[in-house]
Amino acid sequence: MRQRVLTSLMVLAAVLASVLLVTLPVIGQAPATKAKKSAYKPPKLPWGDPDLQGLWPGTDLIEVPLQRDAKAGERVEVTEEEFAQRQAKAERTAENDRVAYVAKDSKVGINPPGYWLEHGRPQKITSLVVDPPNGRIPELTDLAKQKAAQAKQAKQGHGPNETWEDQSLYDRCITRGVMGSILPVIYNNGTQIVQGPGYVAIRYEMIHETKIIPLDGRPHPSSNVKSYMGDARGHWEGNTLVIETTNFLGDKNGIGLNGGGTPHSADMVLTEKWTRTSPDMMEYTATINDPKTWVRPWTVRMPLRLNPEFPLYEYACHEGNYAMFNMLKGARADEKAAEEAAKAGKK
Amino acid sequence: MPDGRPNLNGVWEYIGTANWDIQDHSPAPGPMWQLGAIGAIPAGQGVVEGNEIPYKPAALEQKKKNKANWPAEDPEAKCYMPGIPRATYMPFPFQIIQSNKDILMAYEYASANRLINMGKPIEAGSDTWMGTSNGHWEGDTLVVDVTGLNGLSWFDRAGNFASDKLHVVERYNRRSNDVMDYVATIDDPSVFTKPWKISLPLYKRAEKNAQILEFKCVEFAEELLYGKYKKQPTK
Amino acid sequence: MRNTLSFSVALVGFLLAVSPVRAHHAFAAEYDGKKQVHLEGVVTQMEWINPHTWIHIDVTEPDGKVTSWMVEGGSPNILLRRGFNKGSLEKGQKIAVDGFQAKDGSNRANGSNITYPDGKKLFLGSSGTGAPADPGPGK
Repeated sequence: MRQRVLTSLMVLAAVLASVLLVTLPVIGQAPATKAKKSAYKPPKLPWGDPDLQGLWPGTDLIEVPLQRDAKAGERVEVTEEEFAQRQAKAERTAENDRVAYVAKDSKVGINPPGYWLEHGRPQKITSLVVDPPNGRIPELTDLAKQKAAQAKQAKQGHGPNETWEDQSLYDRCITRGVMGSILPVIYNNGTQIVQGPGYVAIRYEMIHETKIIPLDGRPHPSSNVKSYMGDARGHWEGNTLVIETTNFLGDKNGIGLNGGGTPHSADMVLTEKWTRTSPDMMEYTATINDPKTWVRPWTVRMPLRLNPEFPLYEYACHEGNYAMFNMLKGARADEKAAEEAAKAGKK
Repeated sequence: MPDGRPNLNGVWEYIGTANWDIQDHSPAPGPMWQLGAIGAIPAGQGVVEGNEIPYKPAALEQKKKNKANWPAEDPEAKCYMPGIPRATYMPFPFQIIQSNKDILMAYEYASANRLINMGKPIEAGSDTWMGTSNGHWEGDTLVVDVTGLNGLSWFDRAGNFASDKLHVVERYNRRSNDVMDYVATIDDPSVFTKPWKISLPLYKRAEKNAQILEFKCVEFAEELLYGKYKKQPTK
Repeated sequence: MRNTLSFSVALVGFLLAVSPVRAHHAFAAEYDGKKQVHLEGVVTQMEWINPHTWIHIDVTEPDGKVTSWMVEGGSPNILLRRGFNKGSLEKGQKIAVDGFQAKDGSNRANGSNITYPDGKKLFLGSSGTGAPADPGPGK
């Protein structure tokens, strides 16, 4: 009897899941504007869990802004004209990357060569933020605004690069945080899922993170245990992996690209959902619920494409961080030069 | 595992003093008297088969230099990833996630991790801290061939080291539910006169809900690494 | 030619404006915008490390003096995915670099342009494994 009830519930869950998928707006790939019904059932692993394994880099989504242009209102997809512009831009970038010789009069910049980056594929979605409906991050709470003002105040009279703490957690090679590890940036957007009995593990290429998600319903540790990547717990809702992460260190990194933006608080609850919608597409959503920092929860959605040609390579950031030494030395050199100029001026 | 292979999944940790010194050693004072007995070095049984490390003469001098410059020169003090085999016997747990394809090892220390490729072997494109690992089964033993190590990590806090020519072959054998035997053959013809072996047991963490936690130690090492380049208070 | 140039400048401007490259450890904190350098040298070593590769070169001055420089490139992971590897830039290879010198006056520069002596860009496209955009190795 219990087995039959369980089976019926699973069938109901699967039906509900496919109904929900029909009503979601299409995740920009093919020209269709209406949501396709996705009854895709991923294969099962030998221990019964849905198989979400593979390389799911966020690379295609480089150039989709996190927040929607205000002009687009509640439009989840770009217009045909806007899409054509994105395609044209991608073609120009690809063409530029193929220019084999440096032009004699080309300007010398301070960044590595442009072709030494990774590029996205033109996408139809207007933004990664999909809720609130205007695709923009909600307003900060008064507390968050206060903290930001205090932080700005504290920087008054403080020179650049006095210590390593004047650099971001990313540039110190500490972490980009959970969202910062998956939001697409200029390169190394590698994400890999590896599953074992009772666990899902997600590897993020930059900066060599591994999020291990137990599926056995165990409780989170107490708030005495906090970390940058938080503490994750997962369960299945049909074929969707739902991950709840808490126990974050607060007032450190933000939710933006590379962990930038307004720092989230220690009370943040991050709810992520991974759903394989076809053999080579995964819908990823993340809902950020931090009532101390934003006035309401907000959600990011990313369609990720399976790409076996995008293996993760080691990103041993801290071990090779010459830049930190160089920035500090550079600032000391600037200070010395300013001191000497002041002395010379006094003579 | 459903495919008949041994199940190595779980949270594992080494108990012992190999990270202090892979050879046997007496207790000794630590580098900071302010820590009292807390900072002292315990005695230990060695994990090197035969207890001798066959260094070439010049390499032995380098090992002694490393030891004399400990802890400042120890990559562990700098929060650098420990490499293989040291990651296995750090005083921190690690978790094995064994799928139906590849095997992931996630180490608590410095969030180091590596994926053991169980398919067709891949070549190391560049030298890295955790190396390039290709694995296969020999009966019930997981054999992992590690190449592409960059030679910058040490074997322990005693200054034992190898170069970027290092080739490690690891053997993992779960001899019971709670104990896994680990043997690593160390081969580096530029440093050692012949291959040698490290052999030690790994223990399954038996707490209910055992998990690895986070030890992102960069912040603990920044003063050590960058301290002399920060802005000094004006006199 | 002129179109390509103005587009390159515009593209760089766009990248600087919207991508995190500039924010990412602010090259401007390391390099002096007033000290543009052009280096021609011989590769002694390439460090395939993150966050940035470093190419070490020996530059021979007109008076015969040899100075060693290190040149900052991009992340190696992108190159590895395109089929390049640690053997792709050999010791002894001649290269030319345009960039800016380190603020503290040491022999370090960012590699804005890194080319073979004939001006062909280093690590362009892919390694020659048959990828569509592959112009082949230069000399």
